[in-house]
Amino acid sequence: MSLFEVGRMVLKIAGRDAGKKAVVIDKIDDNHVLIDGQTRRRKCNLKHLEVLPQVIKIKKGASQSEVAAEFKKLGLEVIQTKPKEKTERPRKKRKEKLKERKREIKKAAKTEKPEEKLEKKEETPKPESKDTKASSFEEAVEKESKKEEKTA
Amino acid sequence: MPAGKHKSGRFRKVFVRTPGSKTVVHHRRRKPGKAKCRDCGKVLAGMVHDLSSKTKNLPKSAKRPERPYGGVLCSKCTRVVMKSKARITE
Repeated sequence: MSLFEVGRMVLKIAGRDAGKKAVVIDKIDDNHVLIDGQTRRRKCNLKHLEVLPQVIKIKKGASQSEVAAEFKKLGLEVIQTKPKEKTERPRKKRKEKLKERKREIKKAAKTEKPEEKLEKKEETPKPESKDTKASSFEEAVEKESKKEEKTA
Repeated sequence: MPAGKHKSGRFRKVFVRTPGSKTVVHHRRRKPGKAKCRDCGKVLAGMVHDLSSKTKNLPKSAKRPERPYGGVLCSKCTRVVMKSKARITE
């Protein structure tokens, strides 16, 4: 019969939980047990545990609250960590803001474009230039015709 | 002539090739010695071994093992200490 029965108090001697007390809750195999208490609830190698003389009356696979209550009777503190509340990343907010800005810019561009086109059409002096070219051509033709008359 | 401080062996020599294809001697600080176990003298694993100027901005968890006596005792000696403490108190 091994010393690591359910309810046996143990001391963790390796890893980040070294020096903390725990109880054996379940036996996993010949070399591993499940422990809980001052340490996190975890599977543990027997080589990483030192046996203590105390044995607590506890069920196999007892819950964390039950273990904490038993530890309080012995005068041992159990720190219970609360899960972190999920917070949204600031990146997402930035992205949304950027998207909004892009949408606004697009909307503004759509509303401005037709007015600009109209203005441009009004402003364009292209037909005038054609006229000027045509007028110059006509003048040249007239000059040539005058010269021909003179020579004749 | 090299300065007196460069002749004492306090700094290590580093031969650097310059863009003008010259080799120049640079004098750099030597790295500190490796951390050893207080009890058995074994070189500690998981310890940063570099100049403090390069490691000062690293987090603590990156500099030494995250357990009691981390960076002071090796894992074997830590177990011995823990066991002896438990047995004395009990």
